[in-house]
Amino acid sequence: MRLDDALRDARAAHRPSLVLYLLVDRARRARVSGIARAARDGGAAAIELGFPFSEPIADGPELAAAHARSLAHGTGWPDLLDTLRVVSRILPTAVMTYANPLVRRGLDRAIDEISGAGATGLIVPDLSLEESPPYRAAARAHAVCLVLLAAPGISTERLSRIARASRGFLYLVGHYGTTGGAARGATVDLRPSVAEAHAAAPQLPVLIGFGVRDAISARRTLATGADGVVVGSAFERCINRTATTSSVARFVRSIAAARAST
Amino acid sequence: MPRRFGPYGGAYVPETLVPALEELDRAWRSARRDPEFRGELGRLQRTLGGRPTPLYFAKRLTRRGRGAEIWLKREDLLHGGAHKFNNALGQGLLAVRMGKPRLIAETGAGQHGVATAMIGAALGLETEVYMGTVDMARQRPNVERMRLLGARVIPVREGSRTLKDAINAALRDWITNVRTTHYLLGSAVGPHPFPTLVAELQSVIGREIRRQSRRAFGRLPDVVVACVGGGSNAIGTFHPLRSTSVEFLGVEAGGPKGHRVGAASLERGLPGVLHGSYSYVLQDRNGQVAATESISAGLDYPGVGPEHAYLKDTGRARYVAVHDEEALAAFHWLAEDEGILPALEPAHAIFAAVREARRRPAKERIVVTLSGRGDKDLEVVIRAAR
Repeated sequence: MRLDDALRDARAAHRPSLVLYLLVDRARRARVSGIARAARDGGAAAIELGFPFSEPIADGPELAAAHARSLAHGTGWPDLLDTLRVVSRILPTAVMTYANPLVRRGLDRAIDEISGAGATGLIVPDLSLEESPPYRAAARAHAVCLVLLAAPGISTERLSRIARASRGFLYLVGHYGTTGGAARGATVDLRPSVAEAHAAAPQLPVLIGFGVRDAISARRTLATGADGVVVGSAFERCINRTATTSSVARFVRSIAAARAST
Repeated sequence: MPRRFGPYGGAYVPETLVPALEELDRAWRSARRDPEFRGELGRLQRTLGGRPTPLYFAKRLTRRGRGAEIWLKREDLLHGGAHKFNNALGQGLLAVRMGKPRLIAETGAGQHGVATAMIGAALGLETEVYMGTVDMARQRPNVERMRLLGARVIPVREGSRTLKDAINAALRDWITNVRTTHYLLGSAVGPHPFPTLVAELQSVIGREIRRQSRRAFGRLPDVVVACVGGGSNAIGTFHPLRSTSVEFLGVEAGGPKGHRVGAASLERGLPGVLHGSYSYVLQDRNGQVAATESISAGLDYPGVGPEHAYLKDTGRARYVAVHDEEALAAFHWLAEDEGILPALEPAHAIFAAVREARRRPAKERIVVTLSGRGDKDLEVVIRAAR
């Protein structure tokens, strides 16, 4: 199933979507399919596969360390494609990568390759709206949804432009800070941002990420009216802590079961 | 202000930073036209900074080159001992104008950190400086200076623990505290508007060279030479002379002889995105940023300002790499010939200038921007001499 279809169907059914972020790591190759199955069984809607980068400026300590570890293990572009082929058979996938690995490989070629390996979404955390047109065009040419990020503090006008240009979903950053970030999920009131995004692009699901770590923060985040949450650092922590797929499934289920608190 | 220099530049940043970059762009556009702001900037450049800095004829160094005359633009005499003051002062005044009570900065050699700490103290702004632990060890005097000036120095233990990692840490801080904090970026790198803002604030160097060389020898120099890490003193030297026929020579750090890349991004890098802009980047085939090496912490950086990338591609400027050993030799030449201890960064430019002078007739004039003084490097130089 495609990322955009999965999230749109869930939104239509008023079912909150849980998207998990998993950093590609050569040392994790043998575990990936088990993790993806546990994620699916636990109720995740999709998986973002992160490609490691040497300068992960949008990432907090948890994921920055994971990027460094993955690179130390020798993870390269072929590992991303291999992992995509495995995970895309189990859940819809998006690739999350900083801009430079795409630039180095060649935008069109890189997106062609991830699309061929099963990705239907692409997220670039250091891509601002102004720099996005060539990325959007290349993604469109290969039937990949370029998911744009919006952040607290941007104007309503800018948020609307981003929502209209984003495909698959709108990735709303939940707080001022890097991934993992604030202690208790969203610390800014995101309700107006979610409402503005829905008004600008009525069909587009809005997911909130950066700082969602457990059922409590997920519930609070969903109370903004968002259609789902993205969990990255906490999932990374869970995978590093446990070797069994059943405890991964349990972690995923605990968050996926969250409904908006009222 | 240009967002791009040919294909280079732009703003590749998380959306969280976009409002702050737009605010900075607006603040600078209005400030640079505001007579009151310009008056204050000029007054502090003179009375706090000691501008204008002199243009000095290096007679004995010229004799060593046995060719064109070598003149030094003495930014090492500026307050704090380096050209970094020019940018720190301008951006500090902008932070006050924007109502931001806190400054953060990255530093490699410590010169930009010291300049930011001085300005933070003078303007009453809280100042925190990120510095890689490798650089803290090799530029210890500057760490102490920053602390004495009231700044907090935050050690960065990630990655190569040098300038690039300090920039990563500063960007993460800015993403988190963007509403109250101005990121006083020290080089002509980073997302728009930084490369343009820093170039304009450093252009006082090139404007003075233009005026002073006319006064000293009746015309513009034939070539200007400056070292390039991120490239702020070089762009400040080149920028005001870009519509003249003066030749530009940028000097990158080649690292120790035999090192694959050193820190010569223009010479040995490929176009890519690092720290928010598209420019030349030292990187591997997966787009991972390469480990650099240079004896000078200030040039030890895998990227370069986007305007330099454009000047290179268009052929308007030439860039060469100078090795650690050559820079050290030039350090001693300048010390023994002229009684001046240069920082290791401009020592690279001195070496290239002497080599350039040899190839040119005695009637030609070379101006080298001596971007900083060498006190901070004594330990490194003495150790290398053993």
